Amino acid sequence: MTLINTSPDPVDEAGARKLPAGFGAGRTRTKSTPMGAKARYRIGNVITTIVLSLGAVIMIAPLLWTLSSSLKTREGVFQLPPQWIPDPFVWDTYARIWTAGPLLSGIQNSLIVASTVTIVGSVASSLAAFAFAKMRLPYKNAVFLALLAGLMIPFPTLMIPQFMMFSRMGWVDTLLPLIIPGLFGNIIMIFFLRQYLSNIPDSMIEAAKIDGAGYLQIFGKMILPLIRPAIAAQFILWFMAVWNDYLAPIIYLNSPEKQTLQLVIASFNARYAIQTDYPLIMAASFVALVPVLVIFLVFQRQIIESIALTGSKG
Amino acid sequence: MKKSRLTTALAGTTIVTSMLVAGCSGGGGNDDGSKKLTFMFRGGEDEKAAYEKAVQAFETANDVEVDIIVTTADDYNTKLKAAITGRQIPDVFYIAPGDVQGYVNNGVVKDITEYVEGSETIDLDNVWAYGVDSYRYDGTLQGQGAIYALPKDVGPFSFGYNKTMFDAAGIPLPDPDVPLTFDEFVAISKQLTVDKDGDGAVDQWGTGLNVQWNLQPFVWSNGGDWLNEDRTEVTVDTPEFAETLQWFADLTNVEKVTPSPAEAQTLDTYQRWMKGEIGFFPVAPWDISTYEKLDFEWDLIPYPVGSTGETATWTGTLGIAVSNTTEYPEEATKLVEFLAADATAQQSLVDAGIQVPNLKDMAQTWVDDSTTQPANKQEFLQIVEDYGRPLPANNTYNGEWYDELFTNIQPVLDGDVTAEAYLKEAQPKMQAFLDSANEQAEQAAALN
Amino acid sequence: MAHARADAPAGTSSAATIVPGGAPRNPAGISSTPPPPRPKRPRLHRREHLVAAAFVAIPVVGFLVFTLYPLGYSFYASLTSWNGLSDPQFIGLKNYVTMAGDPYFRKALFNTFFLMIGIPIGLILSLVLALALNRKMAGTTFFRTIYYIPVISSLAAIAILWQWAYNGDFGLVNQALGLVGIDGPNWLMDKDTVKPALIIMSVWKGLGYSMLLYLAAIQSVPRSLYEAASLDGANAFQQFRSITLPMVRPVTFFLVVTSIIGGAQIFIEINIMTPTGGPEFSSASVVWYIWQKAFENLQMGYASAMSIVLGLIVFVITAIQFRVNARNSFSVD
Repeated sequence: MTLINTSPDPVDEAGARKLPAGFGAGRTRTKSTPMGAKARYRIGNVITTIVLSLGAVIMIAPLLWTLSSSLKTREGVFQLPPQWIPDPFVWDTYARIWTAGPLLSGIQNSLIVASTVTIVGSVASSLAAFAFAKMRLPYKNAVFLALLAGLMIPFPTLMIPQFMMFSRMGWVDTLLPLIIPGLFGNIIMIFFLRQYLSNIPDSMIEAAKIDGAGYLQIFGKMILPLIRPAIAAQFILWFMAVWNDYLAPIIYLNSPEKQTLQLVIASFNARYAIQTDYPLIMAASFVALVPVLVIFLVFQRQIIESIALTGSKG
Repeated sequence: MKKSRLTTALAGTTIVTSMLVAGCSGGGGNDDGSKKLTFMFRGGEDEKAAYEKAVQAFETANDVEVDIIVTTADDYNTKLKAAITGRQIPDVFYIAPGDVQGYVNNGVVKDITEYVEGSETIDLDNVWAYGVDSYRYDGTLQGQGAIYALPKDVGPFSFGYNKTMFDAAGIPLPDPDVPLTFDEFVAISKQLTVDKDGDGAVDQWGTGLNVQWNLQPFVWSNGGDWLNEDRTEVTVDTPEFAETLQWFADLTNVEKVTPSPAEAQTLDTYQRWMKGEIGFFPVAPWDISTYEKLDFEWDLIPYPVGSTGETATWTGTLGIAVSNTTEYPEEATKLVEFLAADATAQQSLVDAGIQVPNLKDMAQTWVDDSTTQPANKQEFLQIVEDYGRPLPANNTYNGEWYDELFTNIQPVLDGDVTAEAYLKEAQPKMQAFLDSANEQAEQAAALN
Repeated sequence: MAHARADAPAGTSSAATIVPGGAPRNPAGISSTPPPPRPKRPRLHRREHLVAAAFVAIPVVGFLVFTLYPLGYSFYASLTSWNGLSDPQFIGLKNYVTMAGDPYFRKALFNTFFLMIGIPIGLILSLVLALALNRKMAGTTFFRTIYYIPVISSLAAIAILWQWAYNGDFGLVNQALGLVGIDGPNWLMDKDTVKPALIIMSVWKGLGYSMLLYLAAIQSVPRSLYEAASLDGANAFQQFRSITLPMVRPVTFFLVVTSIIGGAQIFIEINIMTPTGGPEFSSASVVWYIWQKAFENLQMGYASAMSIVLGLIVFVITAIQFRVNARNSFSVD
């Protein structure tokens, strides 16, 4: 069902390996040594598994190390040789983080920003994608190209004027500068949905129009159900991107209780490193990682599908 | 099914929107008609707690609500500047002396001279002159003219030693009135640098100093300085300066009386001092609350002296200023005055162990109190009244020229480059920054 | 739901048409009768234009207000001396002249490009990983998940935990190196190791993403191609070189472009792991320097000038990439 699993079979290396060099003519022999090839493939698998496992340890070790550090005593993190497993386990740190900084309001603020932007922005993007893909509009391709070109402008080039703009409106130190620009949609999403929509035959829409359906009706009843999986995929990706954003929040947000989660943990890092309270920092960082980790594990299939699709659409 | 999904989405949007509205309406203003100030400052946990307490006292006494924004010391400058350019200037905030000229020229901070001088509750003669003068500016020269802030504190950056360690090593305690010479200081440091547990690695050091905060006393005492009199020329390329910086670096590389750079980076010398691994270490008033918990005894001495024979160090200060855009200038100024000079407030801050009293009479009582550490509190007052100097960049338009010296200094401290060669290379770059700062100051002054 | 996989191997039309046993190009079983001749009804068209314009207007307005206008203003600001408090003063190209002689800007530029060394390393590693995960064996889904976890994790949190992991004495990295007898450096405090440290971390973080894209691309290569090749006597390496590599080229292109655009904007890890720009400015990136100049030194004009240069660099690199890969790049229609 998933992209990966239903895809064509993996490369059958065995088929290639068993042929000695320059043995191009011996096609008939292919079937005569299946056991040897299979065995070799299996050995290859064992080696691959070992190498992949080593890699997996490297990938996961820093996260486990964080978890382990967060459960040590303040002195325990500075012990040599290191405690690989905390001794004793200090669960209290996970209670302390909620009062040591505005972690809870950080989570709340991140939720507000990420959900508002992605929910409203997705509606805006879908409508625009529908218009770009399926409706008649003079110069729409030129407009679309202009929007796409905008993607090439890095945010730092725009951040100073944007900052001054929002500051004149008195929006600095509110969540609005993080939310408002996103409400107007996301070009990547529009691009992706537009590609997706191009697979839908125009005839359907023409037929609906002849039946007297309005454009919003066509969009709501016909288009939306069709592109729902694509929207969902983009939605999750966008949500995680906004959730993890850092540069814009660090510019706009000053008051601790207005900060997003990423800023809160960064200020934990700055504040408590001086006091060498590393367990506290690690616990806060770990807590910050958990929500996205859970979302990922639950929606793993959809996320991985959508990533693979996004890349391939480039 | 489709319908329910749509409903869910709608409900989701509604919830989020209401959260958004709730989340955004928090900022500023007087929701219920009462007066509300914001106060932005910086500090560690102890300072935060102490100031929150003082502010609470102010709130009850004056029927004003004060919102507090605290940041770490590292973040403060960026956050404040973002707030200022973002037109969200807090009503009351800390200001560094180095920022006074810029903020005054751009109309950020309020001239509070009239209020302060006319006030009956504050007696300027009883506040350290250095503290108040740091925030005077007449449009061309800092240090005189109108008052733009009152000192939050004065921070005499003194020198301390681990008494317990000296006793254990059988070394006579240094005289609090007669400074050590550079050579004596090195000799004692060598005696203190030992491998206590015998595992082959040194685990106790004579000292361990941070170049950015500790170089000044030695340079000054050795006859060097950063700037000439009229602040137009960077003078770090003098032989006196080079000699001192070299001596400073040699403490690590030649005399080996400090943790190695690698050791110091792994665990800061500040942490090592607190663990009792270091003999001589700087002590500032804001450290007192933290150092009270140390399990060794310590006291203050004057900094070791170089060729001039005069001890020297710097006195830090931060001011509390009022924003020009505040809705309640009177209350805001009152808060400044309260934090800087109210006897009760000062007492609570002093009791919290984060600063020396701003009020002279209170300071004397504090010094005479022999029940609290350190014994030689007098040293702090001597610095403030007598030999403390401002940090080199305090009275220039900006500090870029000063920061430049430290940006690339590591090779000198590692012993890879000589101090002389480095300073020769750094001087023109610093001079360029200074010229640019002076130029900006002139332009800004011309605009006013 | 099978349509969700669509045409995985990138925009090359040739690849899309030969996906075997794949989903219909036509999602969800919509009947694909040929489109009827378009009725010419101008009045209806006008209405359609209006509605379409309304739908399109939202992102276009967003683009004008939050991209085009700031871009123009940034350009104007780059020609001024501006502290963000008073009005900008026009000074012509002076900021650009200053920039040309600013050793810190050059260093930041150098650092930013140096840190991009991680891009090819990451691509090669992830391609190898994708090939490994493409084998018929147990546990591939598990490995895929593990390798992907750093990708979804917040960079701020990752930077914090790697900062701790890089601690000279007590960090995980040197502890692990110690197990095999290597005495690791104090990574983030040494000007020679801070950039490699950042590169290692970014490769670690990005590996899963490129791996996944490569895997999708490899798996959509029709098996018949390999079968034919092996019948012709091509060995595994030859097959890799002449089938796999060309087929994943669009993905490589996509990854290179996005990584460079992202790499040019590196900021978060610098800001968190080396808040002062690293020992001797050795890890300061362009965006970090812009940020510092703009919001710490209030030199908004100068910072704007640097940001314009950054934008130009990104633009030029992207344009070159598109030119080089013209054959593989997508077309808008």
